[in-house]
Amino acid sequence: MKPATNPLDRRDAWLGVMLIAPSVLIFCAVIVYPLVSAIYLSLFSIYTPTLQGNFVGLSNYAELLAGGEFWHSLANTLIWTVCTLTLQVVLGIAAALMLHQAIIFRSLARSLILFPYFVSTVVAVLVWRWLFNDLYGILNHLMIWAGLLNMPLDWLGSMPNAMVSIVLVGAWKYFPFVVIAVLARLQTIPDNLYEAATIDGAGAWGRFWDVTLPQLKDVLLVVVLLRAIWDFKEFDLIYLMTGGGPLIATQTLPLMVYKEAFGMDAMGRATAVAVAMMFVMLVFMLLYLRQAKQDAAK
Amino acid sequence: MMGTSKGFTRRSLGLGVAGLAAAGVRPAEAQQTTLRWWSPQTAPAQREAYNFQIRSFEEANPGVRVVFEATSDEGYPAQMAAAFASGQVPSVVTHLPHFAVATYWQNGLLEPMNDVISAVGTENYYDGANRIYEITQGQYAGTGIGNSAANMMWLRTDLMRAAGVDAAPRTWDQLRDLCRRTQRGGIYGAPLPYARNSMTSLIFICFVHGAGGQIFTPDLQVAVDSDAFRNALEFYKSMREFCPPGATNYSWGESLTGFVAGATATGIYTGRVLANVAAQNPRIADSITCAEYPTISASVPHWTFNDFPSVMIPKVAPNMALAKRFAAHLFRADGYIRQLHAAPGHVLPVLKTISAMPAYQENALIQKYRAEVDRMSTAAAAGHNLGWESTSHKPNTSAGRIIASHVLAEAVQRYVVNNEPVAQVVSTTAQRLEQIMRG
Repeated sequence: MKPATNPLDRRDAWLGVMLIAPSVLIFCAVIVYPLVSAIYLSLFSIYTPTLQGNFVGLSNYAELLAGGEFWHSLANTLIWTVCTLTLQVVLGIAAALMLHQAIIFRSLARSLILFPYFVSTVVAVLVWRWLFNDLYGILNHLMIWAGLLNMPLDWLGSMPNAMVSIVLVGAWKYFPFVVIAVLARLQTIPDNLYEAATIDGAGAWGRFWDVTLPQLKDVLLVVVLLRAIWDFKEFDLIYLMTGGGPLIATQTLPLMVYKEAFGMDAMGRATAVAVAMMFVMLVFMLLYLRQAKQDAAK
Repeated sequence: MMGTSKGFTRRSLGLGVAGLAAAGVRPAEAQQTTLRWWSPQTAPAQREAYNFQIRSFEEANPGVRVVFEATSDEGYPAQMAAAFASGQVPSVVTHLPHFAVATYWQNGLLEPMNDVISAVGTENYYDGANRIYEITQGQYAGTGIGNSAANMMWLRTDLMRAAGVDAAPRTWDQLRDLCRRTQRGGIYGAPLPYARNSMTSLIFICFVHGAGGQIFTPDLQVAVDSDAFRNALEFYKSMREFCPPGATNYSWGESLTGFVAGATATGIYTGRVLANVAAQNPRIADSITCAEYPTISASVPHWTFNDFPSVMIPKVAPNMALAKRFAAHLFRADGYIRQLHAAPGHVLPVLKTISAMPAYQENALIQKYRAEVDRMSTAAAAGHNLGWESTSHKPNTSAGRIIASHVLAEAVQRYVVNNEPVAQVVSTTAQRLEQIMRG
């Protein structure tokens, strides 16, 4: 590209630079700088309270990849993300379909169903911990009363109960997001598509499968992408529910970052986990988007 | 009644405060100053006592505002690490265990507390009360604000009588027998923690010593490859059947509540049990007592976990002279006694002048449970912790990091919850301890 020789063109070029500069600066400040800092810190062995340390090159990464904890935490992260996301989408679509029908108190139901999403995670976890409590929790009482259990179940301190519990609470907490998105899309699907399908002999399941689901595809693509990112980096819900235990059975990568940074006071190793986590997420997102693009092309 | 306390206050603090003032607190500095006070001890009654201490300090120091910020026994390592890393440190931190103070001191993060100890009056402390804080000769990393006996065994005498047991168990076998006899009708034997947290680590350390062992040798070599360590693991595992199912998630709060609510026949805690029973379950108030926790056999002496609740000041705390003055103010008799009375027997006084005061003695709970409080005081006085496992041990300045890493709690979970072979658990634990000790 030739440099602009015309003064007017040069002025326009400068104007363009000036207009785009704030965005570039903000992008550098909030994205590039933290990213580069994290990668830089991950090359050091740093004692968190003093932030003093020495350069160790890639040894933080080598230790990470050679040790079992990172892979265990990665597997936990994937199990948690896939399971809770699947439940969120299934529950979200089901609830949205229900709320799309002409049911009584529909407006009230639409408002109430958003409640879990808006309630603070800390409050939600406190309530759920009480429900799961072995001595006073209503869940155990009801199950014993119904004859399903003889002894209270340890919901949060043994496997696989702990993972099942956090997946269920995660699904309960975040499925309203799917409801909002899907319900909005459902309201824009033309009725004549359903009429045509009915004339062609499609039943309720056929109409859902051949009309509703394809229409929801675009919105579900975005919903799954966003929720997968958010679930992958979920910290507070899991930390407050189980703390990553028993042992490290529910420890996901964000919890490992926290443990390394503030439990082990190893900020360098913590940032190495965080950087690795970012790359894992990037790979999965690229694969997902590529697959979605290929499906759309078909 | 308060005559002695006022005398002590005026004399000791007057001198101390004058000294600190001479060290550089100018009126201008006190014009618009905020001090931040952190503590993990935050029960409502304690907060009331703190508010009194804050008010009296603010009245004596116009223009100074003290803000109390709560931390927690499980959360303070992360919060302190973040505070030190960011430079946004509190002015004064109280009630952290002594081994945490030792770790911070070792990394050059704390201000020596010599001035504060002088302001309080060295002669007012029990003999040797500050010895464990003298990690560097002549300099005190912190100072004690209390003593505690964290692993007292709490007992329900009514349940013991009903089970035909007339004496507190002395050995692990006797304890198991008691739990077996009392565990029925929705009541469990004990509320021991099996979680990956500091309480599990601390209780397990007690069991290792109760088996006649130690975590480190006196010169701080890892000593977990021992019969005592294995026996402690075995005992911990054998107690699982007497603990509620959710004990795999228990920390101090849940364990305390288990006993206070009447859900367990025995408990393991400090004297906070007394105040909580009085307030929350007075029905059992006449049926509780405490004893030192049993050991593997009567020939192995009791080992009490005293975390030596501390006062420390971060080196980079702003308004250092004021912070020291406030730290000294916390020991003023009227406020200090309120603090101690907020949970009688939970935090025991480190100042002999306070212990002797009628104002301290005349508390209803202390009088009702005189024998228990005396027992806890005696046990705490002989107590140790991971930072100082015995009188022959060197101070372990890595103890705070070891507890925060949950290595020992993980050993319990590996053996009890995951059923891993004991040899593997011992080997993994030894390796991780050595790694932490190497830094």
